[in-house]
Amino acid sequence: MPTIVVNKWDLLSSLKVSEGELEDLLFNLKSETKEVDPDHLEIEINNDRPDLLHPFGIKRAVDGLLERALGEPKYEVVESGYTLRVHQVPSRPYALAAVVYDVKLSGERLNELIQFQEKLHVTVGRKRTKVAIGLHDLSKVTSKVIEYKEVPLSTKFVPLNQKEEMTVSDVLERTDQGRAYGRISVRDGKSPAIIEDNGSILSVPPIINAEKTRLEEGTKDLFVDVTGTSFEAVSFTLDLIVATLAEGGSRIGLVKVEGLSGVARSPVLRRYNVRAETEYVNRRLGTSFSEDEMVRLLRMARMEATASKGIIEVTVPPYRADVLAQSDVAEEIAQVYGYRRLEPSKQRFRRPGSFLPITSLTRALRDLSVGAGFLEIYTFAFIRKEYLWGDFVTVANPVTEEYTAIRNSLMPSALLFLSRNQNARMPVKVFEVNDVVVKDETTDTGYRNVPRAIYAIMDYQVSYEQLQAPLHAILEDLGLRPVYKETSAEPLIEGRAAQIYSGDKVIGVIGEVRPEFLEKFDLRFPVVLAEIYLDSLLTASRGNSSS
Amino acid sequence: MLSETELKVYNELRKRKVATAEELSNVLNLPLSTVSSVVYLLKQKGLAEVDEREIETYELTPEGKERLEKGLPEELLISALQGRPASVQELREKLGNDLEIALMWAKRKKLVEISNGLVRPLVSSYVAEDERKALADPSKGDPDALKVLVSRGLLRKKRVKEITVSLTEEMEVAEPQQVITVLTSDIIKSGAWKNAKIRPFNVEAFPRFFPLGKKHFFREFLERIRDVMRSLGFSEVSGDYVEMELYNFDLLFQPQDHPAREIHDSFTLGLKARSAPGDLLERVRRMHEESWKYRWNQEIALRLMLRSQTTAVTARILATKPEPPVRVFTIGKVFRPDTIDATHLIEFHQLDGLVIEEGYSFRDLLSDLKEIFYRMGVKEVKFKPAYFPFTEPSVEVYGRIEGLGWVEMCGAGMLRDEILRAVDVSTQAGAWGIGLDRLAMFFNHLNDIRLLYSYEVEFLRRARGSLNADDSG
Repeated sequence: MPTIVVNKWDLLSSLKVSEGELEDLLFNLKSETKEVDPDHLEIEINNDRPDLLHPFGIKRAVDGLLERALGEPKYEVVESGYTLRVHQVPSRPYALAAVVYDVKLSGERLNELIQFQEKLHVTVGRKRTKVAIGLHDLSKVTSKVIEYKEVPLSTKFVPLNQKEEMTVSDVLERTDQGRAYGRISVRDGKSPAIIEDNGSILSVPPIINAEKTRLEEGTKDLFVDVTGTSFEAVSFTLDLIVATLAEGGSRIGLVKVEGLSGVARSPVLRRYNVRAETEYVNRRLGTSFSEDEMVRLLRMARMEATASKGIIEVTVPPYRADVLAQSDVAEEIAQVYGYRRLEPSKQRFRRPGSFLPITSLTRALRDLSVGAGFLEIYTFAFIRKEYLWGDFVTVANPVTEEYTAIRNSLMPSALLFLSRNQNARMPVKVFEVNDVVVKDETTDTGYRNVPRAIYAIMDYQVSYEQLQAPLHAILEDLGLRPVYKETSAEPLIEGRAAQIYSGDKVIGVIGEVRPEFLEKFDLRFPVVLAEIYLDSLLTASRGNSSS
Repeated sequence: MLSETELKVYNELRKRKVATAEELSNVLNLPLSTVSSVVYLLKQKGLAEVDEREIETYELTPEGKERLEKGLPEELLISALQGRPASVQELREKLGNDLEIALMWAKRKKLVEISNGLVRPLVSSYVAEDERKALADPSKGDPDALKVLVSRGLLRKKRVKEITVSLTEEMEVAEPQQVITVLTSDIIKSGAWKNAKIRPFNVEAFPRFFPLGKKHFFREFLERIRDVMRSLGFSEVSGDYVEMELYNFDLLFQPQDHPAREIHDSFTLGLKARSAPGDLLERVRRMHEESWKYRWNQEIALRLMLRSQTTAVTARILATKPEPPVRVFTIGKVFRPDTIDATHLIEFHQLDGLVIEEGYSFRDLLSDLKEIFYRMGVKEVKFKPAYFPFTEPSVEVYGRIEGLGWVEMCGAGMLRDEILRAVDVSTQAGAWGIGLDRLAMFFNHLNDIRLLYSYEVEFLRRARGSLNADDSG
């Protein structure tokens, strides 16, 4: 989740609330606060509320919750006299622009704006792939017509924070910004650019602006460009920026748009209507709000709403894009009303549910295993792939070579466990019940979890019978008649390994571990172990799995 | 008072007056080590003198052992000749590498003559009596023969302790009574215990290590949570670790370019699912394209991953278009890439619940959550508005933990209508996911999540589960 850092005293004085009240209010806006230093707060904002990524947006929301202002604010919109001419840019087809007057970028305001831009890049902009924003000092823009088009990589300009002219290629290769975002929209030796009609570059989206129009303390008016790959996202981002700055007292200046079908001027300041049935809202929430109460709560959420005959008509303002359907309207109402005021309903009496058969079997088996003197262990499903044999799942993006595969047997896990306990008091007698993952051509993924149990004994000397005796007793207690048939199987000693059968079904394997495998796991003690296939056991044992 | 063994040794000594430990060991059929320690006990009790000396003895080398069994080389040579001369060549075939040694000793002992490559026997048969006697029992061997055998590498000298015991004085041992160390079934049946004393033990000494069978505290915690869920009317379901993105993300309304779907946030297998229901794919496509306004890619939905949330199991249940009422839960491992440290692992556990019931409301959901946490032992919770792609309204549950304050524990909400429509369910539904590892840490007062999966057996032997659901009543 994104976070923003704000000046605590600025925010408290603009909201006219105490610190405790602020924390409460933000909690109800899905946000958490944390003090970073005595003057600054870090606020965590949910991904669906980018309108709160700027203190003005927080103020707009809080004013509503405190009923100081209701419904959508009226912002002043004027003609700016500027034109944006959008040409064919296949890698990044959409561009819109706006002018914002009287932004008063002094003190913390400039930082807040830059932070807002950066956080929007990360969230709505999907790290600038979907949307990128250029902010310019309007007084330094020297033409009334601005073009959006592709330029060759040899085009020269002075990028932000540089002193010398550079080509776009140089920017891609030699600046941090170029290396981070250069690949996104460059195609066939060309990059998108926002240019004045006299040819001087204002920005190379989504990489960097030109030094020419850099924002400074005292910048009075802004020119804002937004480019991207989704018209909806570009349009919403521009609406959000201008509506947020307008909340701080600025005026919005319209820019004439040429070359994009369906858009004559931007920002679009899109509003759309969502209808919700009051009966639906009350049923979903378990409440009994009247039409009027719902309208009031929605207007506290800074949206316009009207109601008649059981239908609420919500007008979603330009700074919100997260209200899509009836359920979102219901959430808006619940949130403004306050979750802490929504009393959880009374618990009904219910009959107990049920466990999976494997859960009941596992419980019986664990009881018996502990009775037989085994200590239960609980190990990772992830394991180093070199420890496994047979078919198993590996991950394509492991974080460490210790954990590259998901185990297909509990034997390697047990051997690994034992190898780390060679200085412990002997004997070490352990067991584990857990899932492993095996290949299975009958499932839709081609793999399947299967439950297994492992038993292992490590001591100065061990014997087959030392494990067979307790295991046999355990299996008999589960209602089975196990028989043993000599087998040869990894990692067991030839002649000291057997498959365990119940009827004609193999339910496990038991044996002493071959010295080669002991060595592979760095074990200097002998080990006898057994693995039981619980899925086979479930079908083999009858009458023992009901709880 | 003497123990059973002490008494045996003492009685034998009374017959012999003087004996070596070895002799006693042979006569009494006791291990030499036992006799050695018993005689010192007798000495302590003032009953015997013990004299310990180092003496020189001989023992067979591995070669000596072999020669004793198979014959000395010169013996083999004489029997190979069978009284007739033979060429060195012929003899090499019969004696192999032993030939040189055999010829040397046979010549030295004047058993053969050698000329022009021909070996002529001077005796028709030969047994090396002295050497054999010395090899069979070095203590009785002829000194010259012993010397020769040592030089031939068949014997080697060894220094050993010899313990000689003699009775000091005929002390009256109180009642030559039998002392019982191990009370056996035979002793009880025979009544022998009636005239015997049972030897006391040092009952205050600590015992040797005993490995205890014990359940794992974290596993027990998970079982208690299962009990809580069942008691609230939930039935258990399960799913697989290997999952397709369709169920982990797409069906849950998570757009394909959502940040949570980036490569570093889940483990991918680089493989594709074998199949998925065509109509479900079509419905999911429509849901995404209508709501999120982008081109949905089926190939992405079919990619295999390790599930990153047990909500994938919930999604699988939804895809079966279950008939309400449904109250199910699942507990299982999920996998997410992370830096492994005291608070992060790449595999951990979640509890997911799903309710599909006629008239089920957000307040009913809050009630279920409150009750689940109460029964787990978290008595105080608060609800915070939240955002998850697949629920609306969404809520985060914070629980109060002694010493830590409010801790985020769960994400929940009412399933979006878009999802329910995609799976053809027309009843309202609530769902949640709870991370269980952190809760287990709180309840067990652990400050390192890795201890839940400890590979240290001594830690597990010490660990005591302290939860939980039912202990705080």
